[in-house]
Amino acid sequence: MQLVIASGKGGVGKSTVTASLLYLLKDEYRFVAVDADADAPNLDLLLGVEHWEEERELVGAKVARINTESCIRCGICQERCPYDCIKVIDGDYVVSELTCEGCNVCGLVCPVPGTITLEEVRSGVVRKTTTRYGFPLISAQLDVGRPNSGKLVTEEKEWAKKLMGELGLKHMVVDSAAGIGCQVIASIGGADLTILVAEPTPASLSDVQRAYKVVQHFRQPAYLIINKADFNPGFMALREWAEAEGIPILGEIPYDRAIPRSMSMLKPFVEAFPDSKAADAMREIAERVREEILR
Amino acid sequence: MQIAVSGGKGGTGKSTIAINLAIALREHYDLVLADLDVEAPNDHLLLGVELANEEPVELFMPRFDYQKCTRCRKCAEVCEEHAIITMRDGTPFLMPNLCSGCAACEIVCPVPGAILPGKKLMGHTYLTETPYGFPLVTGRLLEGEERAMPIVSRAKKRAQGLEKELLMVDTAAGTSNTVSKALEDSRLIIAVTEPTPLGIHDGELILKLAKLMEVPAMVVVNRSDLGDVAKVREIAEKYGAEVIAEIPYSENIIRSYVEGKPIVLTDYPEAGLFREIASRVVEFLGGGE
Ligand code: SF4
Ligand code: SF4
Ligand code: SF4
Ligand code: SF4
Repeated sequence: MQLVIASGKGGVGKSTVTASLLYLLKDEYRFVAVDADADAPNLDLLLGVEHWEEERELVGAKVARINTESCIRCGICQERCPYDCIKVIDGDYVVSELTCEGCNVCGLVCPVPGTITLEEVRSGVVRKTTTRYGFPLISAQLDVGRPNSGKLVTEEKEWAKKLMGELGLKHMVVDSAAGIGCQVIASIGGADLTILVAEPTPASLSDVQRAYKVVQHFRQPAYLIINKADFNPGFMALREWAEAEGIPILGEIPYDRAIPRSMSMLKPFVEAFPDSKAADAMREIAERVREEILR
Repeated sequence: MQIAVSGGKGGTGKSTIAINLAIALREHYDLVLADLDVEAPNDHLLLGVELANEEPVELFMPRFDYQKCTRCRKCAEVCEEHAIITMRDGTPFLMPNLCSGCAACEIVCPVPGAILPGKKLMGHTYLTETPYGFPLVTGRLLEGEERAMPIVSRAKKRAQGLEKELLMVDTAAGTSNTVSKALEDSRLIIAVTEPTPLGIHDGELILKLAKLMEVPAMVVVNRSDLGDVAKVREIAEKYGAEVIAEIPYSENIIRSYVEGKPIVLTDYPEAGLFREIASRVVEFLGGGE
């Protein structure tokens, strides 16, 4: 089974919840964890990973380059670039490598053949390790300024599938990226279900509603975990929304200083502070995941 | 001129800092705030306003006229996104989800009229007046669409079009090229980070991006009592940035957030911190009255 944990935006504790859930399920289930937030991966940090067993460079990303020698400075490329990535610097037409999407429109419209070339650049790395908890983790890191590509996530999931075959693992748990863009779509697409994590604030509600639309797009079931549940007592809209949509609430985690403290210790909070209120709540959630999802 | 508020990872309080700073800065500049976190825009929620003046962002999407198409496959070959698949006889089909709207296929198609300019809705931009004396421009990607870039670029243009003295952009988290697009043309980047190992890790990436883009950066440490600020200083120094403020974890900030009342407008002591950040920014930009 492939399950995804998503939130619509970072900062609501999705990865800390994921790390603790993995910790609680590790003895009973055989799974591979995938950190699909290639833009800002952190599951490895939360699981205390210190080195990678294997790293693969991902090339694939493309950027345009302009040969200033043959360029006749007609400006057509700049006019036609759909994303405004071509600037004039000291009289030369220059592609901004950090924003170029690599579509090659400039190359197609340039009247001087060979002046604009599309070059492959590294988009990031995909890497694998075995965590100290015994299960493998696949993670990726996008290089600074590269397109926030869903391809990286697809690559990660393919590697994870291969590992499942090799190691006889039953499940894949994907910690999705923030937002609702291509990485999230690549995370949720092809999964069996999504667990949404949200906190009771208007901003988090708005974000999770958007993530839920992506889940609906793929016609998957969704569950909800409410984090920092007691943080905003008057705010009922999150629970009401879940109820109206028929999204089962797997549990509510109270705000607990143990969570930020465990993050500095680079450990799942259920491991670092097993006696905390948050850990109690998390164990109940894991129980429901066992009963209702992983049966 | 433009400045940007950015942060390595989500949830560091970037938007809270952006809106409070905007409110503090409006005393110095005629400004517009642009929320370019188009996958999860929240500044309007923090400012307590409803998005207004919606404008669609539509992208080109090829439509094939199969009467005219000669099945030469050129369109499929040129598509960097592999959004066009061809049947065995060369008949092209579009997979709309993969299409980036770049129009390369239309440019190469040798048969006039075989590719018609269809349109697809990618999201919206908004221009909302706020009760704080500056407008807010918001970009919002449609759920189910993958490409944030066109929305970021269009929302930014809309904000630039207002020709205010200061354009303040609030970017998405991370360091992908949509963040670079938002940061582009900034005179200053305010990098918001937390002093935790995760925050420091991600904060370093944004400083790296600032350096690559040759934009000076200043660091604001949020929830500064939840970790090791000395480490943040070390990283900041490595990239030639200065830590200009430390904002401790504060119930008051949370309360003001929950009440929808920006902290900078309250009497809480934290308000002073934001005014100080604002004066550092004004000092750096050397402007305003
Ligand atoms: S490849 Fe596309 S995005 Fe890059 S500069 Fe050329 S036209 Fe612009
Ligand atoms: S279209 Fe070609 S020749 Fe014209 S400015 Fe661009 S690179 Fe130079
Ligand atoms: S518009 Fe660009 S991405 Fe879309 S099908 Fe044509 S070439 Fe491919
Ligand atoms: S390039 Fe034009 S003519 Fe050739 S297959 Fe595509 S649509 Fe048909």
